Amino acid sequence: MLIKMNNVFKTYVLGEVKVPALHAISLNLEDNEYVAIMGPSGSGKSTLMNIMGCLDTPTTGTYYLGRKDVSSLNDNQLSDIRNTKIGFVFQTFNLLPRSSALRNVELPLIYSGMPSLKRKQLAMDVLERVGLNDRMMHKSNELSGGERQRVAIARALVNKPSLILADEPTGNLDSKTGEEIIEIMQRLHEHGNTIILVTHEEYIAKQTKRIIRLRDGVIESDEKKI
Amino acid sequence: MIILENILMALQSLKTNPLRSVLTLTGIAVGIGAVLYVVILGNITQQRINDRLESLGSNVLLIRPGYSHMRGVRTAQDVINLKWDEAKEIKTTSDVIIAAVPRYTGQGVAEFKDQNWSTRVTGTTPEYETVNNDHPIEGRFFSEDELNRRARVCLLGATVHEKLFGNHSPIGESIIINSKRFTVIGLLGAKGESWHNPDDVVFVPLTTAQERLYGVDYLSSILAQMRSADDYDESLFDIETILRRNHRLRSDDENDFRVRRQDLFLSAVQETNQEIANFIIIIALMSLTVGGIGIANVMLVTVTERTREIGLRRAIGAKKFHILTQFLVEAVILGIIGGILGTVGCMGFNYFFTGNGLSIPLNWVGYSFIICSGIGSIAGLYPAFQAANKNVIDALRYE
Repeated sequence: MLIKMNNVFKTYVLGEVKVPALHAISLNLEDNEYVAIMGPSGSGKSTLMNIMGCLDTPTTGTYYLGRKDVSSLNDNQLSDIRNTKIGFVFQTFNLLPRSSALRNVELPLIYSGMPSLKRKQLAMDVLERVGLNDRMMHKSNELSGGERQRVAIARALVNKPSLILADEPTGNLDSKTGEEIIEIMQRLHEHGNTIILVTHEEYIAKQTKRIIRLRDGVIESDEKKI
Repeated sequence: MIILENILMALQSLKTNPLRSVLTLTGIAVGIGAVLYVVILGNITQQRINDRLESLGSNVLLIRPGYSHMRGVRTAQDVINLKWDEAKEIKTTSDVIIAAVPRYTGQGVAEFKDQNWSTRVTGTTPEYETVNNDHPIEGRFFSEDELNRRARVCLLGATVHEKLFGNHSPIGESIIINSKRFTVIGLLGAKGESWHNPDDVVFVPLTTAQERLYGVDYLSSILAQMRSADDYDESLFDIETILRRNHRLRSDDENDFRVRRQDLFLSAVQETNQEIANFIIIIALMSLTVGGIGIANVMLVTVTERTREIGLRRAIGAKKFHILTQFLVEAVILGIIGGILGTVGCMGFNYFFTGNGLSIPLNWVGYSFIICSGIGSIAGLYPAFQAANKNVIDALRYE
């Protein structure tokens, strides 16, 4: 079992008012699952993503990632978990604009303290896997949207994470390049990666193996394809 | 390891905003430049003062004529009442004064072939060489015999030598001083700049100066060498007794001559220099403070601009500590580059205005390095803390 959430609540305090974002979420995920999370805005899917990605901790409830209870970790420990266990892919790519593709992909390995030669080799390998062997030295602001997102995917893969979290990865792309990105996701899943995808697009969600729908902070439905 | 990465990141981010970086650095650069310049100037003047003290000795008194008074008002004119005989009398009568060197100094034009140079001509006696510790680097000083014969021989100061002869040896050449022909017998070593240039001078025998060149019978000054610096009071008493008696002063008359200790005079010069230096240092400190505020300001802007980058770095595993050091290192590097610019600027400034190649004392390069890093880290501390403590989720979504 990769993810085991039990009765997770998340409440934000805005001034005097308490805003409940997640309400009694319980959720299990196996290794190598390919999951889409859907829901209208305000349904709590971003909050759920943040908690799954260890960017945030639940107000109450437990969250086991692997064998580790993440809900009680401090800031430094959360950073370590994000560094070694999780790969993020964002809607807006979030690359360092004036750094090369290679440098961007290296970034997580810098923080894990890997020596320079080794991390360059690793980053190059991963960039090759997403089909960017000839664009490695280009600055990321010289790349097209699709290429940028592939760099971002390479960056998410480089630390061999147990979990890849993609937050609307096709949101800023035209549908053709969006499909290319989804194809890459599919391939990664076939190679054994665990992927959670947040999306608005029904046709993208259909390509996954399991769709979790959220509404008003609760799980509305959770369907697995067989 | 991570520090090295931070330095690379910092350099890159400075490169992306070169104009802003340079503008930020000017405050620091000017401050450090000013501090270093004061230090260099201080060192140079101190060196010169020490050299002068060494060559004069702290046991030399300078006797000069008093100011002349016209109906009770002091005029710019010196009285002309010092005589060579008085110098001789001071030396022979006093037990504590072991030498008294008479000097007469006038203006003169020295000519050699098509070169001419307006300079000071000082007539003195051979004793001058030992009392002032001023030995020719080439040739010789004039002798008692030449003094008695009113010989037309001269020694050149370094400046006069350079102006008339360039690099050639002047020994044995004949030059014209105030339309009279002289043979150059010696060349004096350079003593460097002072409040007046001690190298811009020609030495001739006193008799030659008084009788052949200027037609006077008095002196400009007498240098009296004491047995030791402790004999000051007694020496002063002897000099006053002799001169007052010779000048027939009544007991209620003021001295019509002045006696000055060279070392005290120099220490007054030194004090003035120190005051100027302190003033410049205060201005430099203000400039450094302003520079520090500039760095803090630019770092705050940078941190805000790069909020998303901070969010991303945190999301992929950077700890607060990493972000903190990243921005701190950036601020320190800003400071250090400012310091380097200041140091180079200071050397350039000095070269441009004095033409001297410049030796900044190494320990001061070290100090300015420390000062700059210190200012950088203090200025960067608050912005770096702000960066490190940003909420990761908000930072990621920052527009």
